[in-house]
Amino acid sequence: MKRYDKVTPDGTRDLLFDECVSRAQVAGRLTAMFRSRGYREVITPSMEFYDVFGSAAAHFPQESMYKMTDSRGRLMVMRPDCTIPIARLAAARLTGMPMPVRLYYSGNVYRVSYDMRGKPSELFQTGVELIGSSSLRSDLEMVELAAAGLSDIGGERFRIELCHIGYFKALIGSLEASAEEKEEIRQCIEQKNYAALGDLLQPFGKNPAATALKYLPRLFGGEEVFEKAYSLFSGGGATESLDCLKTVYEHLQSLDLGDRVLIDLGLVNQAEYYTGLIFRGYFDGVGEPVLSGGRYDNLISDFGAPLPATGFAFNVDAAASVSASPEPDLPDVLVFSDSQHLAQAISHIRSLTREGLTAENSVFDQLDTAADYARRRGIRRIHLVDDQIQELDPETL
Amino acid sequence: MKPIRIALTKGRLEEKSVSLFEQLGYDCTAVREKGRRLILPVAGTNLEIVLAKAADVVTYVENGVCDIGVVGKDTIMEMGGTFYEVADLGFGRCRFALAVPRGVDFYEGYHTRCIASKYVNVARAFFEKKNMDVNIVKIEGSVELAPILGLSDAIVDIVETGATLKENGLVVAETIMEVSARLIVNIASLKLRKQEIEPFITQIERYLAGGKQDA
Repeated sequence: MKRYDKVTPDGTRDLLFDECVSRAQVAGRLTAMFRSRGYREVITPSMEFYDVFGSAAAHFPQESMYKMTDSRGRLMVMRPDCTIPIARLAAARLTGMPMPVRLYYSGNVYRVSYDMRGKPSELFQTGVELIGSSSLRSDLEMVELAAAGLSDIGGERFRIELCHIGYFKALIGSLEASAEEKEEIRQCIEQKNYAALGDLLQPFGKNPAATALKYLPRLFGGEEVFEKAYSLFSGGGATESLDCLKTVYEHLQSLDLGDRVLIDLGLVNQAEYYTGLIFRGYFDGVGEPVLSGGRYDNLISDFGAPLPATGFAFNVDAAASVSASPEPDLPDVLVFSDSQHLAQAISHIRSLTREGLTAENSVFDQLDTAADYARRRGIRRIHLVDDQIQELDPETL
Repeated sequence: MKPIRIALTKGRLEEKSVSLFEQLGYDCTAVREKGRRLILPVAGTNLEIVLAKAADVVTYVENGVCDIGVVGKDTIMEMGGTFYEVADLGFGRCRFALAVPRGVDFYEGYHTRCIASKYVNVARAFFEKKNMDVNIVKIEGSVELAPILGLSDAIVDIVETGATLKENGLVVAETIMEVSARLIVNIASLKLRKQEIEPFITQIERYLAGGKQDA
């Protein structure tokens, strides 16, 4: 007996009708915006060799990836992310192009999710990568583009938070602690676990880096964060990181995004992966980030080409959950003919669709069956085609 | 304005959470006289309280349908997940322990041990750290029964006073971790509703800090 022949795997779902329209609308608006800024589309395979993600083990532990083997027994994964395949592509195929290269993509990513926790294992993402520039201009471009996308989809209800991972790296780098202790400290900051963080940093006493780390999860808010952050620590690139963040923040202020932007210097997720400015986007009413991104200058080097890069990805379905659901897609006309006039009926459908209407072909032999179908489907008009065309109301038939 | 929704763990932590909120000046009459209602307003504020089982508190907060939660560190360790864990509330103190029948040296010999626990992920992580292969069996009810019946060599469980262990001829072989109630916050909620949530957290922190000074 087949037990699983009528259901989809955990964490996946079928999308029907308006769900597809809603996803396509959001993705379409975003990709149109990306194209208008000079980004070009790339499509990479849904599956990749495991080795492509091997160097990202800290970011995507092996238990988080769906795996299979190819016909030669080589280990493959369903891609858990789109950026790493693009880094592979950039290193292998783009190094001869004029830099920077601007790319966008849309596609599914696959992540093994916790059992029964309401998280999808198949996510549809649309995102951009700006490869070959490490300038502040490209950071600003990226954050502004992210904000423009958020605003286009969610209107006034979005917030974007910024961080520069260089600040955290400067602090943790100057702390004399083992790699394990540093990772524990990082996790406590990520979770804003003030109590455990305080305990971990207790042994370091009045060490300025430890004091600043202890305060890091609270360096969260508006402009006032900068003054505090500057005063807490300055060595090891901390000041330069804050300068970069502050400059971007000020430019966003002059773009009237001031009240949309938050600073959170405690945003230390994937600290190994990111190298500079990082950001996440939120919509009021959505319990998870709808966008995340940042600068990852070391990733493409892992594939042999030292290219700096920055980018972000939208979780399209989470973003689409705030936009108004699209109108149900009802055909305008049901076209019916007797068996003598099949070709005329199809010609009539052609001319209706040329006018921009949606016309459905009736496959029924009898007009009353066609009318019954039209009523149940909610179609308001029937065109009866013989030597001439007669419009009928299914309700009166 | 959408209310800030707080999920409290039913039972042992509920009473302590409610009295904490009352000492902070919140009117929890609706919670005290809840009847069959599931969502309980805090009069005069924009707060709402939901009572849920511990694991569900984590699920609700993680998915953003509740903004804030009060839940034991034991549940957080067992479930994992993505949220902010902003305060140790100090009550509901107990510990995770490895307990064995009295007089047994758990680490003696080389046979693969069988461990009974309701907290299989905590047990697995504990033995992984020790590079020990063990068989873990999930038990839903009184875990102490498993070694008595001969199913397992030891148990991993929450220990408060140790009285239950003692009555069943078990002793703590090793403490795995101290646990207590935690205040957790949904990530997006903290970002989007900072002005409402942060003062609440600060109020709790101040109260906790004050309590420590008194002690």
